[in-house]
Amino acid sequence: MEGHTVRKSLRTLIPLAAAAIPLALLPTAAHADSGTSYQTTLNPINGSGGSGMATVTVNGDQATVDLNYTGLATTFGGNPYPHVQHIHIGADGVCPTMGADKNGDGIVDTVEGQPSYGGIGTTLSTKGDTGPSAGTNIKVAPAGGSADYHRTFTLNSDTMNALQSGTGVIVVHGLDPSTLSKKAQNEKSNLVPSLPLAATAPALCGSLSSMPTGGVATGYGSTGGVEDLGLFAVGGGLAAGGAALFASRKRAASKAS
Amino acid sequence: MLGGRRGVLALVAAVVGLGMIGVAVHAQQSAPQPQRAGRIAVSPGRSASAGASSPAAPYPTHPTPPKATPLGPSRPVHISIPAIDVSSRVFPLGKNPDGTLAVPQPGPRLNTVGWYKNSPTPGQLGPSILLGHVDSVQGPSVFFRLGDVHPDDKVIVRRRDHVTVVFTVNAVRDFKKAHFPSRLVYGGGDLSTPQLRLITCSDFVESIHHHIGNEVVFAHLTRVRRPHAR
Repeated sequence: MEGHTVRKSLRTLIPLAAAAIPLALLPTAAHADSGTSYQTTLNPINGSGGSGMATVTVNGDQATVDLNYTGLATTFGGNPYPHVQHIHIGADGVCPTMGADKNGDGIVDTVEGQPSYGGIGTTLSTKGDTGPSAGTNIKVAPAGGSADYHRTFTLNSDTMNALQSGTGVIVVHGLDPSTLSKKAQNEKSNLVPSLPLAATAPALCGSLSSMPTGGVATGYGSTGGVEDLGLFAVGGGLAAGGAALFASRKRAASKAS
Repeated sequence: MLGGRRGVLALVAAVVGLGMIGVAVHAQQSAPQPQRAGRIAVSPGRSASAGASSPAAPYPTHPTPPKATPLGPSRPVHISIPAIDVSSRVFPLGKNPDGTLAVPQPGPRLNTVGWYKNSPTPGQLGPSILLGHVDSVQGPSVFFRLGDVHPDDKVIVRRRDHVTVVFTVNAVRDFKKAHFPSRLVYGGGDLSTPQLRLITCSDFVESIHHHIGNEVVFAHLTRVRRPHAR
């Protein structure tokens, strides 16, 4: 009897297991999106007060960058503030802490931050060249206190490799000079000596990591099917057994009388 | 006499058995199935999907949602969803080696809400990712009733900086895990507003004892309450 029910449940389980195999294989094979995506939040450094988020989606050698921020310095000498922005590569792939402020002026300048995030791999320019050499060209930098940047371009292999190894860091530069210490206000940029320190010092920083893929395993199934199977089994057994016994007693009693 | 006592015993057994079945039937529970509702795009004229993968599908008639000023980073510590009586602490979570999101593990945090630590903190620009189990080995979990959430419901998150951010649900979707639109959910393409995603499991299939879907609730920031702000 028991052997029979086990065989029976096995017979129903085998086709179910077979049906589950393609389901198990699907998730890796059938994603709706193509390419590899990276993401980061852009958090303030040097007290910039700004905040944002960026995503980079790579398809072959093409990269699409979406980058938004708010809260940065809005004007510079009466004009919209140019905020140069790059993917830095070739170092630890992290954002610097204030401990990186070697000269003690209260600002982690671009060079002081390089042991953390490295040099420029890609310039996130608004048009034209996206290589390292466009890095300090303020004419192709997004301007103003907030940005809504979207651009697709050919990604160089150095930056591609850095993204894959988790060492790509997006840095947006340009601080409000009035927030700097007196000492720092009088310093010049160590990248572009004709500019003040504030113009090229980092304002936002974010370490790129691969975006999560696929769905989320947020269920065990404990409430999906029939719960309290034990209670059903014992209750069912008692009810059936009791009823059968009661019936047989009744029969025995009526026969005897 | 003996037979009569046995008969009573058998009758009692049968009644107790039926009672147990009744209790078991009463204890049966299944999570509400999410109903597709609302629009994912919260900025007029923008596609909610990633710009690279699909042509822009603007919604010219979509009303501009009420917006609140984006905030700086501060990690979430508590979430409440009054519409479904959810009130839970929030802890940061990372990714699994296979690239999927990690989920709350057995232990004291199993039935709490997790925040994906590489996503924006609630109130920052972009989609902040929060997830919770629909059920656990212990039965219903923190997002058991997430399927009952509808557009215009409120999601209230308290951050470590004591700022409370209020999000308003704009869409509910149910995706098959096999075709999960990762970029739409985690990246979104539109990073111009602070948003929130709530994720749990859905579509339980009895025969394979497995949830084959994920419910995703899309919400956008509508209010910021600062401590001492009167």
